[in-house]
Amino acid sequence: MTRFFSTNTSIFIFAFPALFIFTAFVVYPLFPEIVISFQKHNGFSSQGFVGFKNYIEIFSSNSFWKANTNTFIIVLLSTAAGLPISLLLAFLLDSQANGTRRYFKAAGMLPAILSVTVIAQMWMAIYEPQWGLLNSLLRAIGLESLSQEWLTDRGIVIFSVAVAFLWQYIGLNTLLFYTGLKSIPKTYYEAALMDGAGPVKSALMITIPLLQEVIKFVLVISILGSMGMFAHVEVMTGGGPGYFSRTIVYELYYKAFMSSEFGVGSAVAVIYVLQCILITLVLNRFVAREKIEF
Amino acid sequence: MRNRALRIAIRMLLIIIGIFFIFPLYWMLNMSFKSKEEFYVTPFALPKQWIVDNYINAFQSYNFLVYFKNSLIYTAGTLVLILFLGSMLAYCLSRMEWRFSKYALSYISLGLVIPVNVVMIPLFIMIIDLNIQNTYMGLIIPLFAFGLSACVLMLYAFFRSLPKELEEAACIDGCNVYQSYFRIILPIIKPAIATQCVLIFMNVWNEFPLSYILVTKEAFRPLTVGLANFFMEIGVTDWGLIGAAMILSSLPTMIVYASASEQIENALTAGAILK
Repeated sequence: MTRFFSTNTSIFIFAFPALFIFTAFVVYPLFPEIVISFQKHNGFSSQGFVGFKNYIEIFSSNSFWKANTNTFIIVLLSTAAGLPISLLLAFLLDSQANGTRRYFKAAGMLPAILSVTVIAQMWMAIYEPQWGLLNSLLRAIGLESLSQEWLTDRGIVIFSVAVAFLWQYIGLNTLLFYTGLKSIPKTYYEAALMDGAGPVKSALMITIPLLQEVIKFVLVISILGSMGMFAHVEVMTGGGPGYFSRTIVYELYYKAFMSSEFGVGSAVAVIYVLQCILITLVLNRFVAREKIEF
Repeated sequence: MRNRALRIAIRMLLIIIGIFFIFPLYWMLNMSFKSKEEFYVTPFALPKQWIVDNYINAFQSYNFLVYFKNSLIYTAGTLVLILFLGSMLAYCLSRMEWRFSKYALSYISLGLVIPVNVVMIPLFIMIIDLNIQNTYMGLIIPLFAFGLSACVLMLYAFFRSLPKELEEAACIDGCNVYQSYFRIILPIIKPAIATQCVLIFMNVWNEFPLSYILVTKEAFRPLTVGLANFFMEIGVTDWGLIGAAMILSSLPTMIVYASASEQIENALTAGAILK
């Protein structure tokens, strides 16, 4: 019967509108982007092809390399620190009664539902050097020597922005891990207990292997999310001081929209999309395993 | 005994970490009710005198209602388009028989790999060339295009789980394909549609980079961008006003979250489990 429904007209009406807009606005723009990356372009019109000049320019500029390093730092922090913290919190949450659990879920989700602008502005108040929360707290516990100019110090600024970014999504990731934990049948743990495994051993030998689908999902969204970090930087520091808190996406935004070098910006974008594709391939190659059915 | 002590210790730890998530919001609320002078003297204590001047001020200098209306239009428009066209595509990919359906599915998955930031530059030029910059459609269509993939892939999985007999029965009863889809299939997948509503709402309402770049006129800015520009304009001195603007802008999502927290949590975790 589905064959009866599958006429050329009905397939066209069901599939074409969405596929057409998707192609026009998501896939197609990649082509002009590649073309523009070989041009001198001011956003309104092209001033001719310049060969690899834009690429040479970005590869020899300090801000591009700084942006790459910063992006790498953020990806590293969100995977090597953010994910283990969320996983640990999910384990802790699992051991608690309903009340604590509901409280923690609601508290942890709060940052994730608020807009980036609000979160970023809030962290500006936290980092404010004179009366900000962080420095006031350090002064109160007698660690005044540790207080910093969190958003204007060249060496620290990217970590300050990264903390705000991680903070926003830790609660959500915890919730994702926790939901994964809940879906593992209790009988596995009972069997492990009978065989004499303690809580740490059963976490390592049962939970983490069975959680790998969820871990992979959270890993992918955290890596792609932190690679595309832009709004936090724009609101909190505007890429400053100088170019010291630029991320790769900020660099492409800055080149194109702040200094009207659309060609250079497009070259950064081409490098960035190559990085995204590479990371997706690596993740699919090394992280994907067979699907688990309970 | 040892177990019980451990459990209480963990509970205390979780409560403290929870405060770490809530405190900034409390602080924001607190600063919005303080005068500028009082804020600088005692930034953290409760206001000695609760004043609403900041809110009155915010309504005068910050176009909250305009931004709010725009956000509403962008979100509703994108939501309707994605649900309508996206669900039709997902249905077509999963239940109709045609040669390229498998390829079309992989093609649509490309949307998960190409982040919106990548094509900001050509998209900006396209929107100007199409003469739709600073119109509602000029932002809704790109938002739709980039929100499509996630929705189609999720609904695709959902459609696959429905029995084939549904369409057979519809066909025998004399429905054509459109009637069978809109009257029978669509009502059955209501729970999945509800989940999608939540996800799309959260994504579009809080969307930043696209709106920031594509919309250049004040009158068409959504809340997130309007708020960011407002902060950049007034600088960082009047934190009472900043706090009031933050609270005003956050209220809509907080009300939505408070009234449907469970559904929102389920929707946000659905992606991880369905994979």
